[in-house]
Amino acid sequence: MPREGALQRRPRGMRRGRVGTWAVEPGPPLRRHRPSRLLDLLVAVGESLERAVDPEVAAWTVLVALTAGEGLGFNRAFLLLAQDKELRGFLGIGPRNREEAFRLWADISHHQVRPMDGLHEPDPAAIAGERQRHAATLAALTVSSPHDCHAWRRAFVAHANHPQPSVRRWTEVLDSRALLVVPLLSGDEPWGVVLADNFVTAAPIYLGTVEAAETLAHVLRAAIERTGLLRRLRDEEQRGLATEHAEMLLATARSLTDALVNPLSIAGGTARELAAAPPSEPAELLPRLRVIAESISRIEEHVSRLAQGLASRANGGQRQEVELGELAERVVERFRPLALERHVRLVCYRPARRVRVAATPEAAERCVETLVANALAACQEQRGEIQVAVSEEGDWGRLQVADTGPSLETELRRAPFAGSMSMRRGSSGLGLASLRALAEAMGGKVGYDESDAGWVRFALLLRRWS
Amino acid sequence: MSGSCVLFVDDEEGLLELYRTSFTRLGYEVATASSVEAGRTRVRQGGIGLVVLDIRLGEASGLALLRELKAAQPKLPVILSTAYARYQDDFSSWLADAYVVKSSDLGELKLAVKRCLEASA
Repeated sequence: MPREGALQRRPRGMRRGRVGTWAVEPGPPLRRHRPSRLLDLLVAVGESLERAVDPEVAAWTVLVALTAGEGLGFNRAFLLLAQDKELRGFLGIGPRNREEAFRLWADISHHQVRPMDGLHEPDPAAIAGERQRHAATLAALTVSSPHDCHAWRRAFVAHANHPQPSVRRWTEVLDSRALLVVPLLSGDEPWGVVLADNFVTAAPIYLGTVEAAETLAHVLRAAIERTGLLRRLRDEEQRGLATEHAEMLLATARSLTDALVNPLSIAGGTARELAAAPPSEPAELLPRLRVIAESISRIEEHVSRLAQGLASRANGGQRQEVELGELAERVVERFRPLALERHVRLVCYRPARRVRVAATPEAAERCVETLVANALAACQEQRGEIQVAVSEEGDWGRLQVADTGPSLETELRRAPFAGSMSMRRGSSGLGLASLRALAEAMGGKVGYDESDAGWVRFALLLRRWS
Repeated sequence: MSGSCVLFVDDEEGLLELYRTSFTRLGYEVATASSVEAGRTRVRQGGIGLVVLDIRLGEASGLALLRELKAAQPKLPVILSTAYARYQDDFSSWLADAYVVKSSDLGELKLAVKRCLEASA
């Protein structure tokens, strides 16, 4: 931002053009912005925009470049975007009045702040603050989309007598004597407008500066379109995940109903029968009481599993980026001493490329632990081998644990993750049932395969992080 | 009600025992089957006046048996007994003569059995 400059009634380097517009004088072109400096500016802005994922950050980046002293040096700049047949104020940057300008620039000078340096690490909170600070101006700049803007093929400098009502309004709102207007069109319709001026310093706007600003505005448009698309995709993904989440909760509720109604009906119904027709002999009573007790135990077990399932599903909304290869190695290293002790060969294969998945870190780790522990339990009597392999499979990250232990029982093969029958490992089978519940809570799935003779494979599939 | 054997098809042995005790006490002749296959066999043997059918029978679906029964014996009344009103997802559930949501209170089921048997008499 310029920190000094003589105020003048008529911008130096400009002459009055037709219809009240300050025509831009050609000379001295690029005096302030030598080609190499302009190129450096474009490179710096381009690099920052490449990293931008939000339209606000993209807009802020370009507006900083327009207003920074080491940029194009305008006193202030605004971006308006077309939305619902309006050109709406989107973001503004710079001081709001002369007093604020002198304070701000003195502060910048005192602290030797170089605004362009901040492009490397945009601060979303600061951007939101800047937006809030200019909220009133942005609202006042909002106009109905102009109909005759097809004539705006190039950037121009306007003043209060401009024939176009929208432009006149902008000069009035900003009390600007020479306002740079950079229109961005989509066909004959406005897509957005960048406004900038030197309302405090009244420094002239040279042709080279106008061209540079026009270039930056077009770069900004490309970045906003890209980041806008990214945001829509992200929102869509979030909506998709929320739908999946709701479906999982519904499935859980249905599963709960199915699982609980039978034992509840048995326990309650048997109790009612006993009340309606009490048996005369104690020997007749005992078996029925046992039926009631067993049903209540089943209910308790289902409720406990449901609570765990709901808790892990609730956590499913807080997924983070997890690198599957690192996770696999970490868990394998934890089990290695036990594997050595049991003479089981435990190996881990992970690709050079990082396999990033969306998961709850603790839940994902518990899943991998369950798979490795299960394989180790299966192999311990045979001194077998366990292979843990990580790979990418379309939209999924896959972690597979293969072991040379005995095959699953025929009945268990039909539904290895049901948790309703004993496993070959001699445990309750609830481990694999929990594994499935955890995986599903993270939007993932589990798999089982014995197609390769001699190997039993379980797999955890989690959605790739994007 | 004598002569009207009610067949209960459910994979929960505890429920079958409850139905057996409760409906026998009301004077019904009761038969039970714990799978689709056993239910099919029992109906073929004859003498069944009404079937109370669970929709979820392990891996099998009671709705498939409902379709079979209604194709073979359209006048045989069938009551669908279910833990959850999910049967509405499947049009074949509309073939049933009545629906009862499972409960510890067998009152609704008893009433449905009585009505269906009276209607088919």
